[in-house]
Amino acid sequence: MTTVTLQYYAQLREQAGSSGEQLTTSAATLRELYDELRVRHGFSLSADALKVAVNAQFSDWGRALGEGDIIVFIPPVAGG
Amino acid sequence: MKHFSLSSTAVDVAQLHAVLQHPGSGGFCTFEGWVRNSNEGREVDGLEYEAYAELAIAEGERIVGEALARYGVNAAHCMHRTGHLKVGDLAVWIGVASAHRDEAFRACRYIIDEVKHRLPIWKKEHYLDGDTAWVACAHTHRAHEHEHLPAHEHASEPPFVPDYSRQTRLRDVGETGQAKLAAARVLVIGAGGLGCPVLAYLAGAGVGTLGIVDGDRLDASNLHRQTLYDARDIGELKVQLAAKRIAALNPTITVQTFAEPLHAGNAADVFAQFDLVVECSDDMRSRYLCNDAAVLTSTPLILASVYQYEGQLQVVTAKPDAPCLRCLWPQQPAPGVAGSCVESGVLGPVAGVLGAMQATEALKVLLDLPRPADHALLLVNLIEGTSQRLPIDPAQGCALHGGCIEVARRALAQAQDEQVVDVAFDSLDEAIATGYTLVDVRELDEIGDRPLPVLSRQLPSSQIEARASELASGRVLLVCSTGRRSGHAARKLREKGMRNVHSLAGGIAATHPVRDHVPG
Repeated sequence: MTTVTLQYYAQLREQAGSSGEQLTTSAATLRELYDELRVRHGFSLSADALKVAVNAQFSDWGRALGEGDIIVFIPPVAGG
Repeated sequence: MKHFSLSSTAVDVAQLHAVLQHPGSGGFCTFEGWVRNSNEGREVDGLEYEAYAELAIAEGERIVGEALARYGVNAAHCMHRTGHLKVGDLAVWIGVASAHRDEAFRACRYIIDEVKHRLPIWKKEHYLDGDTAWVACAHTHRAHEHEHLPAHEHASEPPFVPDYSRQTRLRDVGETGQAKLAAARVLVIGAGGLGCPVLAYLAGAGVGTLGIVDGDRLDASNLHRQTLYDARDIGELKVQLAAKRIAALNPTITVQTFAEPLHAGNAADVFAQFDLVVECSDDMRSRYLCNDAAVLTSTPLILASVYQYEGQLQVVTAKPDAPCLRCLWPQQPAPGVAGSCVESGVLGPVAGVLGAMQATEALKVLLDLPRPADHALLLVNLIEGTSQRLPIDPAQGCALHGGCIEVARRALAQAQDEQVVDVAFDSLDEAIATGYTLVDVRELDEIGDRPLPVLSRQLPSSQIEARASELASGRVLLVCSTGRRSGHAARKLREKGMRNVHSLAGGIAATHPVRDHVPG
């Protein structure tokens, strides 16, 4: 199990109902983690539509989770 | 409604008039062109108009459409006669209905000038002495080419002298920097929540030329975040309002307006006329189009967008090896996936903050002020009061797919392709091989008489608008016998935003395997 800190932006924040959370998960990769969160929070966006950053660096979805990682999910937004 | 018509017989003007009745119109302006009894000293008995009808109708529609957009009038129609006319007969009728008289007059003038200039209609004069001659239309003086913004009309007032001392005092700006700004040409796309502060700050800073792109009219729901406008402006074209405000703010700068959104066919050409572009629209398609045009023309682009209490900011320098929008999100999200102000709401000043940041970035680029060496996406969260700068590694973006330029070229080509309504193919097999889903829009009895030799859906043109949701989401090719019904249906569907719909040019008659069997 890995404990990570999650930050949500835009639609994800709205759908999760919070800006972030701390989570202990059995997911091995970012993609598995997001799939788990999608079920839990009902995120409408698929991973392909998002960018993910770990510890303030963009990352690919195959990256393994590390203890204490700060993970940010970023959807594109179009408002002006 | 059709905006333009040709008629080979006399037309009842009262009917044309009635169609333009509009409760929101306080001014109605008509122009009538009559057959005169002389031309260049020769007595005229009558004349004859000959039109290349298809082209004339298409061009006429375009002209009236331009007038509607340019002057923001409510309704307009132009009728042009063809055939034989006698002295005193009505040759051209133009009617424009508008909220206010000024736009009605100007739109009317625009239409007649452009009609005389552009329509493929030829005039043959019949003289009293029995002679006849085709008369060429000389260059028309077009009043709108000489229109100026109202701010420039008060010649009697002393000229405004700008004072940039508060910014030239900055060591990195100085008079040299000010000269750079005066020489700069910046295009601002979208005059909304982001665009208002961008325009105001860049105009105030003395950016020499500001272009403004916006196709929308001001709505009351815009006023909480679009600070250039006021309650009296509701219903007016934003691009005109913004131009007026900007010219009033700094009369020394030049303002150019584009009252229609850019499209794949012109974006790169327009970008090439500017040194920098600031993307402030609320439209994901515009963001991607701008990204591609910026990359292809090496024009720096400042992107920002807002969502509720947050915003994102990215500077695309469009230099070799610098990342672009597609390096982050390669594909444009499907409509409705990305959040918008309409659906999700936004706190007014959030747009103001991000717009002010865009203006700052634009000035930094123009003045060549010190900036971080790396490229980043900046996330701003105004609820939490935090911002996060995420460096973008160009090697992980478009570089994996041939590089930003190649990716942009492909995307723009595809967008251009989607923009073309009528596409030609030698055979239907070729259309399918290119990736189109065929939809036969002929009536069922016609299809029974001559079925298509390939797999296709059947959806008669008479029902296609009502059943538009049944069409595939990929590239769709509508097919009929001659291309007329399919072309009409494709345009109707495109007006509803279905830009994936095309029409087979010339219809089945123009394809090889069937052409051999079609008589004539």
